[in-house]
Amino acid sequence: MDWIETIINGVLLGALYGLLGLGLALVFGVMRVVNLAHGEFIVMAAYAGALLAALMPGVNPLLWVLPVAVLAFGAGYVLQAVLVNRTVKSGDPLTPLLLTFGLAVVLRNLMVEVFGTDPRALDGGAFTRAGVDFLGLRIGLFPLAVLVLAAVMFAALQWLLARTEWGRIVRATSDNARVVRLMGVRPNRVYNTVMGLALAFAAVAGVLLALRSSFTPYSGVERLLIAFEVVILGGLGSFWGAFAGGIALGVAQLVGQKLDSNAAALYAHLLFFVVLVIRPTGLAGRSS
Amino acid sequence: MRAVGIVLLVLYVAAAAAVPSVLDPGWLSLLSEILLMLAMVQMWNLLAGYTGLVSLGHQAFIGIGAYFVFYFSDRLELHPFLLLPVGGVVCAAVAALLAPLLFRLRDAYFSIGIWVFAEIVYLLATKTRELGSTNGVALKAMRLVDTETFARDSFWIAALLALLAVGGVYALIRSRLGLGLMAVRDNELAATSIGIDVWRNRFAAFVISAFGCGIAGATYFTGSMFVSPEAGFDINWVVAMMFIVIIGGIGTIEGLIIGTLLYFGLREGFTAWAGVSGSWYLVAMGAVAIVVMLVAPRGLWGWVREHRGWQGFSERRQPPAMAEGGQG
Repeated sequence: MDWIETIINGVLLGALYGLLGLGLALVFGVMRVVNLAHGEFIVMAAYAGALLAALMPGVNPLLWVLPVAVLAFGAGYVLQAVLVNRTVKSGDPLTPLLLTFGLAVVLRNLMVEVFGTDPRALDGGAFTRAGVDFLGLRIGLFPLAVLVLAAVMFAALQWLLARTEWGRIVRATSDNARVVRLMGVRPNRVYNTVMGLALAFAAVAGVLLALRSSFTPYSGVERLLIAFEVVILGGLGSFWGAFAGGIALGVAQLVGQKLDSNAAALYAHLLFFVVLVIRPTGLAGRSS
Repeated sequence: MRAVGIVLLVLYVAAAAAVPSVLDPGWLSLLSEILLMLAMVQMWNLLAGYTGLVSLGHQAFIGIGAYFVFYFSDRLELHPFLLLPVGGVVCAAVAALLAPLLFRLRDAYFSIGIWVFAEIVYLLATKTRELGSTNGVALKAMRLVDTETFARDSFWIAALLALLAVGGVYALIRSRLGLGLMAVRDNELAATSIGIDVWRNRFAAFVISAFGCGIAGATYFTGSMFVSPEAGFDINWVVAMMFIVIIGGIGTIEGLIIGTLLYFGLREGFTAWAGVSGSWYLVAMGAVAIVVMLVAPRGLWGWVREHRGWQGFSERRQPPAMAEGGQG
């Protein structure tokens, strides 16, 4: 019974990990840009959540997610418009990577100066501690809500990209930015909204993760690593693959924690490495 | 050009010989650190600048080299300095074993794959009791060392490594291997079609890069007589290397010398002289990196090369009249 509970909790944690990787996969898929500042935005969202929590005590923590996501969308839009677009057109994929690297270091150390390095946690109140008993298993209500939210967000993004006009424009821009210009599309604007959306997803994940585990300005590095593992495990271009990759990592981490209480991350990393050996294209990637 | 090179070499050797008797120990260890960073950053750039493989996991080699020397110098009762090259060879062997796995990954995937590898090694080190777990270990082999001359000799090793790294990378990129590497970086398909073995070229660069970082890392920690998993496998090694490469100019040799001096200049300027707290210099460095990427994506030296036409340690050979403008 213990083991089943561990695996279920792993799945619930994994849904959140999937969300961490979603924005990264989106930006990489559309612009071929590796955003090394992704982790810092996740942590900044957590600090924004903490600020909101102080301003509006007693509100359901899931409601904090919305304003933080809107803010993150704006931040992503501006970031792309002001900085990243200038480097994307250089054609060398290293330039935007190194730019976001510089940005990550600036943001991380500004957070150190502003917030200090003490670990913080978001207290979501009674809701985050409530649970239901089901067939003798105890399942947290909050992680369950996170799973549902994550699934909805994955489905929404999939639908946006596959079924709407905006999605068609994004996919066309990703395929050939020069040709869509002829159709009256401004690739830079498309990139702006994509980066905004990616950071909005990162922000949601950041706040939700902060409700589960404590964070410091330095947490961005490990969160970026998780996000990357999720994306690579899932395989390029597949959002559901990223979801599956997140769940695999979440389960590996909690099973690892159970086997060896101070080396949870080791098992997740090992799983990642083993998958890499067997299937370099990821879980859902096509083996070409 | 050759005469300038010889004069520079003689000046460097003379300066390195004189420095330990002139500088006090604090300055000497800072200078050693600068020289070792220069050696490591040349190795990192050999991979990133000439093959396009951006490694976020080179701290693994720094840590492995250091731990190898710490453990075996004590076990085998050998002077740690004797084991430094062996530490490099161990790192090269690790890289050779890792390459078939990691080279299946493209671009960013390679960067993350090697980062995860470094994390795994780090976590294993924290769990190994013989290596001091999370607390780290002191250099027990200090009992075999003449403490009078230890700092001086460490400095000389650092100076030698920096010289070998700069000279070695210069010789390498002008060789057949280096030209092959750059051809692959610039256009993989075209390079393959003229018969360049992409995999073997990358493999060679990766193994050499690991070897150099392993020795330099082992030398750094031997000099400080203590290593812990936190310090040895610190991602900030790579963060510093990336800064230097960004600011100086990726794929250049001289740029990295400028970048290294700027990095340490800013660090010491902010923390030691201006007394500004620890993280502000990093904020400043990050901001400088952003500005450099926006204004001069090829770094400061790349900019100088473009606008002033200076060549320095360029991979460009004096071309015979026909082949003008061939290799860039």
